[in-house]
Amino acid sequence: MTQPSRRDFLKLLRDGFLWMSGALALGGLIRFLDFEPNPVPKTEFDLGPVEQFPLNSRTLFTDPPSIPIHTESGFSALSLVCTHLGCAVEQSADGFACPCHGSRFNVDGAVTHGPASKHLASLRIERTEENHLILHID
Amino acid sequence: MKKYLALASGLLLLTLAFIGWMDSRRPTPIALTPTLTGQPEYCLTCHSDLPEISTSHPVKTFGCVICHGGERLALDANLAHSSMRGGVNPSDLSVVEASCGGSNCHSGDQAAGRDHIQRVMTSVQSTYAGAIANIRYTFGAQPDLKAYFGIATVTDEQTKTGITSLQAFDPSHESSPSIQKFGVNCLTCHLHAQPREGEAYARQTGCAACHATSKHTLSTAIPYTQCNACHNRGNYNLRTMTFEERADHPTTRLHDYYQPIAQFTQCEYTLDCVDCHTRTEAMGDGDIHVNQKSIEYAQCKTCHGTPTKLPRTQTLTDPNDIASTLAMLNPVTNLKLGDTILVTEKGEPLWNTRVLADGTYALIGKATRQYFTFRPVMGSGCTQSGEDQSSAYCHECHAVER
Amino acid sequence: MRPSFFHHLHPPTIPAAQARWRYTLGAGGTAVFLMLVLGLTGILEAFYYSPNPQEAALSVQTITYLVPFGGLVRNLHYWSAQLLILVAGIHLLRVVFTAAYSRPRRFNYLLGLGLFILALLLDFTGYILRWDEGICYPLVTGTNLLKTIPLIGNFIYRIAIGGGEACTTALLRFYIWHIFGLTLLAVILSVWHAFRVRRDGGIAVPPPHLRTDTARISRNELVRREVLAILIVSILLILLASFFPAPIAPAMTGKPVMTENARAPWFFLWVQQMLKWGDPFAFGVLIPLILLAILALVPYIFPQPADSDIGRWFPKSNRVAQIVVIVITLTVIALTLLALVS
Repeated sequence: MTQPSRRDFLKLLRDGFLWMSGALALGGLIRFLDFEPNPVPKTEFDLGPVEQFPLNSRTLFTDPPSIPIHTESGFSALSLVCTHLGCAVEQSADGFACPCHGSRFNVDGAVTHGPASKHLASLRIERTEENHLILHID
Repeated sequence: MKKYLALASGLLLLTLAFIGWMDSRRPTPIALTPTLTGQPEYCLTCHSDLPEISTSHPVKTFGCVICHGGERLALDANLAHSSMRGGVNPSDLSVVEASCGGSNCHSGDQAAGRDHIQRVMTSVQSTYAGAIANIRYTFGAQPDLKAYFGIATVTDEQTKTGITSLQAFDPSHESSPSIQKFGVNCLTCHLHAQPREGEAYARQTGCAACHATSKHTLSTAIPYTQCNACHNRGNYNLRTMTFEERADHPTTRLHDYYQPIAQFTQCEYTLDCVDCHTRTEAMGDGDIHVNQKSIEYAQCKTCHGTPTKLPRTQTLTDPNDIASTLAMLNPVTNLKLGDTILVTEKGEPLWNTRVLADGTYALIGKATRQYFTFRPVMGSGCTQSGEDQSSAYCHECHAVER
Repeated sequence: MRPSFFHHLHPPTIPAAQARWRYTLGAGGTAVFLMLVLGLTGILEAFYYSPNPQEAALSVQTITYLVPFGGLVRNLHYWSAQLLILVAGIHLLRVVFTAAYSRPRRFNYLLGLGLFILALLLDFTGYILRWDEGICYPLVTGTNLLKTIPLIGNFIYRIAIGGGEACTTALLRFYIWHIFGLTLLAVILSVWHAFRVRRDGGIAVPPPHLRTDTARISRNELVRREVLAILIVSILLILLASFFPAPIAPAMTGKPVMTENARAPWFFLWVQQMLKWGDPFAFGVLIPLILLAILALVPYIFPQPADSDIGRWFPKSNRVAQIVVIVITLTVIALTLLALVS
């Protein structure tokens, strides 16, 4: 009975080749779709000259949503992106409120009311040689 | 049948594997998003080895496409390069406005010192107006030495010291065979000319002719060799109206230097052309001049003065003075407020000079960075009369014979 | 073994004559496969293509050079489209030369001809979607031909490209025509065409009492043959796509450019050649339409082939139709060659 086994072997070979081809094609398809054609969004923002941020000032920025803060210990910034699902929070009487799902934060960014569970992120600020403030949002 | 099916399946697998292998050999695309354009470009995939073109044009800020044009996303060399402005020379004057121009760049307003393109377009180095007028006059095509034609048409309605327009010179409209030959043989190396065929000539027009001091480098530290590329390439033979390429192979700076004048003082071949000749002389003052004489004027006395008069000087008080900007672009010397420098008769700063405490002067070579000191004529033993102060008279005593 | 979905699309058995390579040339089946490849690669391209005059050519460059295997996908789409026209043409010739169009298949012949026209239009609109410096001239001349049609010319022009200047306004229209309007029509006609093949008794063979060959094959065998054809065409396509990239040109910047000596896409070169001879309506619209009408009327105006001749190559009984179609084909080929060398 060599004939049937030879047939089975051919079928096995064919199916093997086809499955492997399919796997290669699928891999190619996934790589094809996994491409970012648009420029990567900016992560550095020039906020302007240092003089615009006097000591003990808090300045509201909408792009990117943030508040640069100048204190005795230097410059820092609070992100105004809600830690729940990413809406921009708005200033309220006692801090910040998120218009999307009602999360509330105090002036230091700590959660005072859910559903958010994490503090507003603090962002890094850098001072350039030309005395401009650069905000990093990554 | 089953045999063929298995075979064809195997071949398909092989073909797909081959595709994967080909893809793995492809260079990884390198994206760059210059801050000025915000649009990604992939030129660096192949050109990552190019040097930074100048400190004023960092690639992270400018990228490549803003100056060179081309297809920023294409990774096929032919397509990517097909739409480049001016081929390898985006500063060719036919495309310079799109490449180097723009009000924030080099065709901005005169007050901010950004009118370079307009100045160069109208300068004698672009128009060649004087030579064309001279040749046409000599061969009887015009009754006087007035300039009517330039390499290309230029107009300047608001001229202060020049003429309002030049028409493009077209040798085919000339009746004299000599002028026709002149048109064909002698108009190839001016800034607005069509560059001659070949890679060696591709960067000898536009801004690059002077500022591209080596491949993919822009600089204001322009060595004499850069000027030599045109001004010392050879000589016209006015009998045959042909250009005779220079055939000698000089080994010293003295013998390599600008040849049409036979006599040199030591400073004329030790310094570089740009150490004495100013940006206005080289790039024009924005007016259309009829010939070289009406714009080029730096002479020995510009720096040395005369037996009766010291050269003009200026003490820097304004931090926005053009002298400070020029010194910043080519930092061969640390120019500070309060420093006193020499200025030309027209008041242009010779920013690489200094008036020293003892009344002598110093000059730092813009290209060589060499430090020289020199004295004014006044107080020396020079007995030349105050009337005859052009360089030719100085050469009588001070020239080094070649 | 219970038949799979794919097997179920086929009748349990068919006359062996209906499935011989040397009869069918595999042209109809190959055309279906190419259309599937076109659909798949077209959808993939649509993930990155942007039908906006400022971005279209750049998005094509993105697909071609930056997206992993994007160049392969685009080249596959291109080559499938070119091959589809070739294969559909061969299919049409086969049907005429084997007298397969006669009753009851006269209507399905018209459906097939409609599909052929749709393939040409899809190919032309797809060519325009590159929206680079190479497309403006063919687009302007091609669409201006529509305007030359008396009375309804401007109306058809507006329907096709939305009015205005073709090189600035046609992109969105052509995009929608390409991916939706024409494609939808092509899908409907294809399904209808395939349904009519089954309804009309399969691929044309003489009626049972006139058949000399009574052998039949099972659908298992038929599917195997189809799979073999698919594999061979796939390999061929991939190799073509890897070594012969689809044409591309620099993106249009500012004003659209009309490059000189611009050529129409190859399948319209014969029309472009005739346009050099004179009146654009006569040579660019009327003559092609007359040729199309003659092709459409083949089953109706020429002597009917004998029943026993159906499915035989070059039978005597429909000689006139064969000669007419050969003359048309050779004329089109000759005009194309003339355009290529001039």
